[in-house]
Amino acid sequence: MSRSKGGKQGSNVLAHCVLAIGGLAMVSPLLYQIVMSLSTNAEVQSTPPTLWPGVVQWHNFADVFTSMNFGSQLWVTVAITVIRVIGQVLLCSMAGYAFARMRFRFKGPILAVVLSIIMVPSQLFLIPQYQIIQNLGWLNTIAGIVAPGIFSAFGLFLMRQFFMGLPDELEDAARLDGANPFQVFFRVMLPLAANGLWALVIITVLWSWNDLLWPLVVTSTANAAPLSVGLSNLQGEHANNYPILMAASLMAMAPILVMFLLMQKRVMAGIGRSGLK
Amino acid sequence: MKTQTLTPESTPAPTPSRAAEPTEDRRKGRSKSDGWWPWLFVVPTVVGIGVFYLWPIVQTFYYSFTKWGVFGGTKFIGLDNYLRMFTDSTIPQSILNTLIYTVVVLLGIPIAVILASLIERPGLRFAALYRTLYFIPYITMPAAVGIVWRLIYNGDFGPINWFLGLFGIQGPYWTSTPGFALLAVATVGLWMSLGFNLIIISAGLREIPRELFEAAEMDGAGRVRQFVGITVPLLTPSIFFVTIVTVISGFQLFDLLYVMMGKANLAMPQTQSLVYIFYNQAFLQNDKGYAAAIGILILAIIALLTAFQFRIQKRWVNYV
Amino acid sequence: MNHNVTRRSFLSFAAAGAAVVSLAACGGNSAAGGSAAKAAYAAPARDLSAELSYAIWDAAQKPAMQKIVTEFNKQYPNIKVTIDVTPSKGSAYWTKIQTQASSNTLPDVFWMNGPHIKLYAQNNQLLALDGLVSGKAVDTANYPKALVDLYTVNGTFYGVPKDFDTSALFYNKALFKEAGVSEPNSSWTWDDVKSAGAALSKFYQGKGIYGYAGDLTGGQTSYYNTMVEAGGTIISSDGKKSGYDSSGSIAGLQFWRDLIESGVSPSMQQLTDTASSDMFTSKKLAMTMDGSWTVGPAQKALGDDLGIASLPKGPTSNQSVIHGLANVIPANAKNPAAAQAFVAFLGTQDAAKIQAETGTVIPAFNGTQDAWVKSVPSVDLNVFLDLAKDASPYPVSANTAAWNDLENTLLPQAFAGTKPVADVAKDLATQMNAALAKES
Repeated sequence: MSRSKGGKQGSNVLAHCVLAIGGLAMVSPLLYQIVMSLSTNAEVQSTPPTLWPGVVQWHNFADVFTSMNFGSQLWVTVAITVIRVIGQVLLCSMAGYAFARMRFRFKGPILAVVLSIIMVPSQLFLIPQYQIIQNLGWLNTIAGIVAPGIFSAFGLFLMRQFFMGLPDELEDAARLDGANPFQVFFRVMLPLAANGLWALVIITVLWSWNDLLWPLVVTSTANAAPLSVGLSNLQGEHANNYPILMAASLMAMAPILVMFLLMQKRVMAGIGRSGLK
Repeated sequence: MKTQTLTPESTPAPTPSRAAEPTEDRRKGRSKSDGWWPWLFVVPTVVGIGVFYLWPIVQTFYYSFTKWGVFGGTKFIGLDNYLRMFTDSTIPQSILNTLIYTVVVLLGIPIAVILASLIERPGLRFAALYRTLYFIPYITMPAAVGIVWRLIYNGDFGPINWFLGLFGIQGPYWTSTPGFALLAVATVGLWMSLGFNLIIISAGLREIPRELFEAAEMDGAGRVRQFVGITVPLLTPSIFFVTIVTVISGFQLFDLLYVMMGKANLAMPQTQSLVYIFYNQAFLQNDKGYAAAIGILILAIIALLTAFQFRIQKRWVNYV
Repeated sequence: MNHNVTRRSFLSFAAAGAAVVSLAACGGNSAAGGSAAKAAYAAPARDLSAELSYAIWDAAQKPAMQKIVTEFNKQYPNIKVTIDVTPSKGSAYWTKIQTQASSNTLPDVFWMNGPHIKLYAQNNQLLALDGLVSGKAVDTANYPKALVDLYTVNGTFYGVPKDFDTSALFYNKALFKEAGVSEPNSSWTWDDVKSAGAALSKFYQGKGIYGYAGDLTGGQTSYYNTMVEAGGTIISSDGKKSGYDSSGSIAGLQFWRDLIESGVSPSMQQLTDTASSDMFTSKKLAMTMDGSWTVGPAQKALGDDLGIASLPKGPTSNQSVIHGLANVIPANAKNPAAAQAFVAFLGTQDAAKIQAETGTVIPAFNGTQDAWVKSVPSVDLNVFLDLAKDASPYPVSANTAAWNDLENTLLPQAFAGTKPVADVAKDLATQMNAALAKES
């Protein structure tokens, strides 16, 4: 194979072709969703498919506000997501640090149990968790919605993997300076694990944003319902009005997309590193 | 990935692994334990996980030996629920369905390796844009994209069959024909996970020292030989990681089936997953004792597969 | 929000009795379940102060429910009712109610449907409402008998009927006109609908428009009706034995297979991909059998082209299956006096009229349906009321969901023609009988 400059250029063209076609294919379902959100219901169900609506139906997006309580549901979703993220970042990084870099009894067995929990489908937890929340008297409270979700076996494992990959020198130096483990953790090690924290943040945000069954079961007042529940309600109500459903779900996804685009460098670095160790 | 602490049974026999290994050795020399400090770090999380996750599993294990009344009240029936699983023909079929789904989604890993090696070419323009495009499906809402895909797959007015029609091909009813439905759902699973796999593998690629490729080039090795001889072997730790993640999430398949298939679907017996049967038994058929036994079966299968993967990884995963 | 302090102080003797029974006899059948609550109900004092939660699953009906609450508050200004909507889609509502029942946290008043009434009543989860009847707060004669029977389990009355629905024949006048086929009328038989459907499908061949179809992903608006019309049953009246192996039932199922096989109806796969009601509203279906709740959306989509006729007559009748919802109270109600006062009000003529005016559902209270009939003047909605008169009761047993799932798994194979209808029906009957045997 020729390694001349010309040859390299030529094969980069091929790489661009493959990547561009593949990338377009990857986002095409979302592009199709955008087209449908701007079409009429008849256009969505027409043959051949509508590739662009005859008249752009911007009002579908306005109609979402009259069909569901978008603003307050968005607020609930943001609130529970923020609490879960803060809880997980703090608790999982502390525990992950201890499992990665400290020595204590039963470390191996506890970690094995934590790993097996990651493998359990979440539907299995529904009824027992509900009964615990009820016994705690937390039904219909924000505490009840977020309590199980601020603890995460996966988050603990992820953060352990990150801390295992960090060098010893800084930690040892801090210890020699007389810092206690808390000071070592918060001042030295946590800042070094920033990429890992970003991976944990985005994974928790995604999970919390889309979480449907748990908030549905644990809350019974409409003003405590998050967006996922609102969307599900909308589907029940306008089962065959696809444009509204598409517009509403685009609006529900938009904050996540914006957040991702703003922070994509860190998110990608964080998630990428999670597979290295 | 470090192996010896992941599976308890392999703890006594340390396998060589990189970076973190000397750390542990040095620690051993320093002190046997860090005293009570570690507990300050782990107690909140361990207690929370114990209460909200471990206790429910213990309860489920207990309930799997009972006939569980719809609204509570249990009767111990020994192994009846487990014996029933052996006569229930939907169980082996759904295990097979789940395996097929997982295998299709696993095909996304070689695709991700090829795409990542294209994106990570030194000096390739728009690399960041490509990464973003491929990652976007991972951050969409499954409940919402499930509906979009239902429409895309629609046999009468969906764009896929319209496209096939341009070439005179009459496409099937993708989500309601046995055989095709499982492939259709698995394709969506692949689509959603590809970006995640790609990012992990891209990061793995960037860790491979450039000098290795330069040396191979001086020896006259071509692109393909470099890919097979250097890229793939050195990527095996990343490939191993995404394989584990894919298998675990493959066995948790539920949401996509629920949104894309609907309740009375001709293809459901050839498509439904174990978790789908669990949900159906627990919340629709009100047979929660039997559902608990299925839950334990799911847990056992995933644990076995994961242990198996860790065991055979020595044969193919290269830790430098 | 319920304050724990007020819980105990409001427990009446009746509810305390029922609650203890339900705790002690979970899973078993206890004859004592209702007797404690049979004492005649007396309307509580007007200044009764309480907070009630009211769980419903249809967001479209929330405004009407809210209006009823406002009217109720004119009588009981200190009873605060909070309406909680949980979608029924994906069975979320029932997953939630079941989880709450397992933990004794059921809402104070909630919607009940046919498939679940026996499950909840026989497991002592519901408050017996015989007291409302003997106390003259509710008169069962005001509601269709099939509905009162549906919500009476082992002689105890558990739910005050809220609304009902029957099925009829919907058709698209424009499609009939273009194809030159004469429109359906109330004397039509199965053969008429088949030949008209064939003519329509033939005329529109290649255009993706079909003559006749029903929603085969569930029985209520399709095969339940034809099974009954052919003299079959879905389940025996005592709810202990499957009727799927009777010759009439098989004929009722074969009807739909014939439609699909002859190309009158879209295939089973098509009906799974696109719901028949969606096909009808997008003008791809000339005729469909559908429930009364579809009138609103269909009228919105088709306007004056919408036609409605009675069900075509089968070998023995043109009966429709009737189903309806009821309002129920949990056995361990925190505030049974207030909850009963609200349920009694929901069962009044005034409450029924508010529902009727919204045009979303047919209210169960006899004589108030006129407002619903007038809500869409372009078609004769009396068809649904006439069908209700000798309708067949909705088939239920103690664990209806178990064999509903069998129907959903097995019947699509019969409709798609992968297995003979009679074989599938007999297989279904065997498996359904096994499921029913497990109930007791």
